[in-house]
Amino acid sequence: MWEQVKQALMDSTTHFLTRFANLLPGLAALVVALFLSMFLAWILATMVRRILMGLHFDERLGRWGFASLAEWSPMNSPTRLVSRSIAALVMVSGFLIGVSAFDLQWTSLFVQNVFSYIPEVMAALVVLLVGNVVARFLARSVLIGAVNLNLQYARFLSIGVKWIVIVLSVAMALEHMRIAPGIVEIAFGILFGGIVLTLSLAVGLSSKELISKTLERDVKKAPSESVEDSLRHL
Amino acid sequence: MEAGSIPQQAEQTAEEQGSADLVVGILADLDSATSSRICDALGTLPGPLRIAMLQHDQRGNPASPQAKTPTECASVFFLPSLLAKPDASKGPLSTSEAYQSVFAAAEKLQARGCCVIASKLEGATPERVCQIARPLLHDEADLVLPHYTSRKFEGLLNASIIAPMMRALYGKRINNPMGPDIGVSRQLLQKMLVKRAGNPGGTALHPLACLAPAAFCDRLRIVEVHLGTRIYPAPDWANMSSVLANVLSPVFCDLERNASCWQRTRVSAPVQAVGEPVFLAQDEGAVDTSRLVESFQLGNRELQEIWSLVLPPSSLFELRKVSRLPVDQFHMSDELWVKVVYDFALAHRLRTISRDHLLRSLTPLYLGWVASYAHDVRSAGALFPERRLNRLSLAYEAGKSYLLSRWRWPDRFNP
Repeated sequence: MWEQVKQALMDSTTHFLTRFANLLPGLAALVVALFLSMFLAWILATMVRRILMGLHFDERLGRWGFASLAEWSPMNSPTRLVSRSIAALVMVSGFLIGVSAFDLQWTSLFVQNVFSYIPEVMAALVVLLVGNVVARFLARSVLIGAVNLNLQYARFLSIGVKWIVIVLSVAMALEHMRIAPGIVEIAFGILFGGIVLTLSLAVGLSSKELISKTLERDVKKAPSESVEDSLRHL
Repeated sequence: MEAGSIPQQAEQTAEEQGSADLVVGILADLDSATSSRICDALGTLPGPLRIAMLQHDQRGNPASPQAKTPTECASVFFLPSLLAKPDASKGPLSTSEAYQSVFAAAEKLQARGCCVIASKLEGATPERVCQIARPLLHDEADLVLPHYTSRKFEGLLNASIIAPMMRALYGKRINNPMGPDIGVSRQLLQKMLVKRAGNPGGTALHPLACLAPAAFCDRLRIVEVHLGTRIYPAPDWANMSSVLANVLSPVFCDLERNASCWQRTRVSAPVQAVGEPVFLAQDEGAVDTSRLVESFQLGNRELQEIWSLVLPPSSLFELRKVSRLPVDQFHMSDELWVKVVYDFALAHRLRTISRDHLLRSLTPLYLGWVASYAHDVRSAGALFPERRLNRLSLAYEAGKSYLLSRWRWPDRFNP
């Protein structure tokens, strides 16, 4: 009996050690891949940071209308944000390469799934980026147009347009990434409808006084327009 | 305009007619009686001249060739179809295209020069066509520009930006560098064609904005003609920003193109003037500037994030101070206005933001200057507006060193 227990213990120990020994090369490969990717990430991040600093990327980004990006960036520097993002991407890639070295079925499947998801993530990022650029451009156009039309609520209109486009692009990005598509659809409908309804109510009810004042002022000013019309610009 | 862009039928008409000494393009919406009088007046020009006349109205309809037959007007023949688009469904010609059509016709007919009448003038328009044509034909002028007698609130965009800036940059004291009633010699037309050929992928050359700078830079002969009073179109307040963007964009583009030329010019000199200046009694009416000031104040409040990309902190601080002034004491100094215009020209060159956004965001500042000018000339005599605008021109000349510094070192020189 004791012999049988001893044998079973020996077998399970041998089995465990064999399995563990089988894992060791994969584990070592993971550690090596991680170290290599960290080293590569550090080199790449340094290079990118130096290039972007040479190009005055932070200042240029401010000029292109992305000044708010600095607020989300480490040490208020979009250059650091870009370089660290690249470093993180390289390290994640190294980790995935290391994991796939285990040569186990589930890790291969996991890595395959992750890699097949990357294009969707990239497409969603592009949608977000384009949405952001379009939102800022339209917001600026509306702001300038409304100011030139002498509308006191120019800023309010501009912010409304900006958030409508941003919400639309976030919904499109989430839809692309297949993250709860049904919920996103409904949530977007509610949110978009809500924004439009809020704007309508704000203009129709809350700003009733403001609009009536504006109209009143316009009516009062009507006679003076004839005087103003004596100006000739071209 | 390339010769290839003339409608084929029109090209045939031009070839049938052979050549002409002078091409006259009538782009203003004139009645047939005035057109006939112009034709008669052109007949009085000395010498045996063959004159081709092109006319279309504001709706883009070329004049009927039956409007005046060659037998009625011996030295003048009509080329109506040159001012039509090859494809009529595309709508009427734009002002720029109409000018280019006239220039192309002059080139095709190998004319010694061409005149364009694009505005309605108070008084005798026909004689004024001859006034523009004479320096071209007899004084060997290369560019004939108008000098209108303006009331104090007329031609403000030209008076506040275009004329004084060109005077400061190119060193010639001209009053209406963008016409629109102009005369151009064959030599200048050919130089324009060369410039156009050398700029295939670049921004399009605007026929009016680039004429005067081209003449300045090539040291061609410029003559100003006193044409009297012009009838100005009523302002479209809803589209004020579009007007600013459409007019200033080609001017600023040309500034960039001719940077090497205007950077060498130091002082300004008058150009030869022809004709008698017409004096006009200035109306005493004041303008209610409250809406102009309100527009400026609203712009100052809401467009700070855009202006801060274009203007240096010192100018922004000054503008904030101006916006706090009450309407009746509202005043924007010439120095500040000049700096603002020069900074916008620089931002246009650097493409700091979208060029359309940039020029449209200048509108509240321009209206602020108009309000300030209206206050200044409110109770002044007849000669004061001219002196006031001359003072502005001197401020532009004094501020040129500022533009030069910022143009050469946009990142380093930022007061």
